[in-house]
Amino acid sequence: MNVWLDAILILIVILGLFIVASTRLGTMIHIFGLQSLFLGCVPFFLYAKEMELYIIFVCLAAMVLRGLIMPYFLFWAIRHVSVRSEVSPLIGTGTTLLLSGFAIAGAFLLASKLIFPVKIGSDMVIPSSFSLIIMGFLLLVGRNKAISQVIGYLVLENGIFLFAILLLKKMPLLVEMGILLDLFIAALVMGIVVNHISVEFNNTDTTQLTTLKD
Amino acid sequence: MTILLLLHLTILIFFPPLLLGFIGKTKAFFAGRIGPPLLQPYYDLYKLMRKASVYSVTTNWIFRAAPMVSLAAILSAGILMPIAAMKPPVQFWGDMILFVYLFALARFVIILAALDTGSSFEGMGASREATFGCLSEITMFLNLTILALLSRNLSLSEIFLGGLSSSWLLVGPVLILVVVSFFLILLVENSRIPVDDPETHLELTMIHEVMVLDHSGVDLAYILYGKAVKLFIFGTMLVSIIITFRTGDSLIDTAFFILEIIAFAVLIGIVESTMARLRLNKVSFLLFSAFIFSVFGFIVILVRGH
Repeated sequence: MNVWLDAILILIVILGLFIVASTRLGTMIHIFGLQSLFLGCVPFFLYAKEMELYIIFVCLAAMVLRGLIMPYFLFWAIRHVSVRSEVSPLIGTGTTLLLSGFAIAGAFLLASKLIFPVKIGSDMVIPSSFSLIIMGFLLLVGRNKAISQVIGYLVLENGIFLFAILLLKKMPLLVEMGILLDLFIAALVMGIVVNHISVEFNNTDTTQLTTLKD
Repeated sequence: MTILLLLHLTILIFFPPLLLGFIGKTKAFFAGRIGPPLLQPYYDLYKLMRKASVYSVTTNWIFRAAPMVSLAAILSAGILMPIAAMKPPVQFWGDMILFVYLFALARFVIILAALDTGSSFEGMGASREATFGCLSEITMFLNLTILALLSRNLSLSEIFLGGLSSSWLLVGPVLILVVVSFFLILLVENSRIPVDDPETHLELTMIHEVMVLDHSGVDLAYILYGKAVKLFIFGTMLVSIIITFRTGDSLIDTAFFILEIIAFAVLIGIVESTMARLRLNKVSFLLFSAFIFSVFGFIVILVRGH
């Protein structure tokens, strides 16, 4: 079972790398949806021996919200503001990919140094979640378009969710709240930021926000 | 034992051009054509062997020596590589380093020969080949290091003859990473389609083909044959990583191996028929991805402490 969990975690990180490496928004959203679906599978493998109803519920909620509804909204958003791709990212895709590679190495090194109070089912959950968080950060700082920044934020959230899965036994309600918070944030970001930028400036390039205007 | 060694050498020497035949057939099938016969690469080599070579007056001995040296280096790498379940004729501790550098030597002499012609077109190809070569070499080494760590051995024959079968159960995901990364490297090293087009000789995105434009006759036959052998060796390696199951009987294993390597050729053909060639500046991107795949696998192996 452990091998399957490893396989899924490695796949999740690699899908993260794909998101970081691609410039087309459509591809990024598709891959993000796929990543979230796989992420929803993790608790099934992590808690295979002590399965309970609320775990299944949390998994399904995460899968449906992040894997289906969120990509749907994102696609709606890119249709709405009609952007197709990240033309000139602040940090080039090759550089971002290389930085992500270093980030993964750092995450694994860091996670091997940390000491945890409880025993964790797999020693790869934490480094994978760190990697996702850092990759999300890289997307947030390295891209110009608001929508790719939203995707970066969601990848970051995926990393946090992966970490939160470890707490699923202790405080399931908190994890559930976290999932719902993501949806709220996404709706907020998309509704306010994307629309307002596009209304004000006729495109969704966030670099325009730094220029003063009265 | 001697018979097995002879069988190993026979497959190594006579089989590789057939791979190109299978790739050609697959591509023809996807294009809806009948395509050249399976043995066409052999006919091509035979035709080239009978022709005389033409040498430019600006070239010197390097240009004449390069095809021979590169073919010799590639064949020497081939005798370090176990085929099917047969032990290679030559094996020693740490031969995987020699294995990688024999390919580097083959590439180096071809680059020298390309520069020797003084043609700017070939110089451009040489520069590209050197760039991609040095990027793919790191990844190749990293992949071999992972395999060596898993099987706790530095000899190719020990790695591929039984060292990996238990690893698939323990760290299967890492081996999948290695396989993906190695397949990308294989496409780059053998100048297959997403990177380079082996069919044409006169296009500006050419990498490998452009370097051998001035070679003719026997020299060209050596280079084409060397390329086929290189593809065969890389394919053997990929197949040996993926399929570790062996029956124990040499003949049955060999028969299985032939089937596996033909499946590999068909896979290459499918990749070539379904993908378009990448833009040149995207190729380094492909190499980056291969590198990061293997770095990721390497880190996981280190953390797991195998």
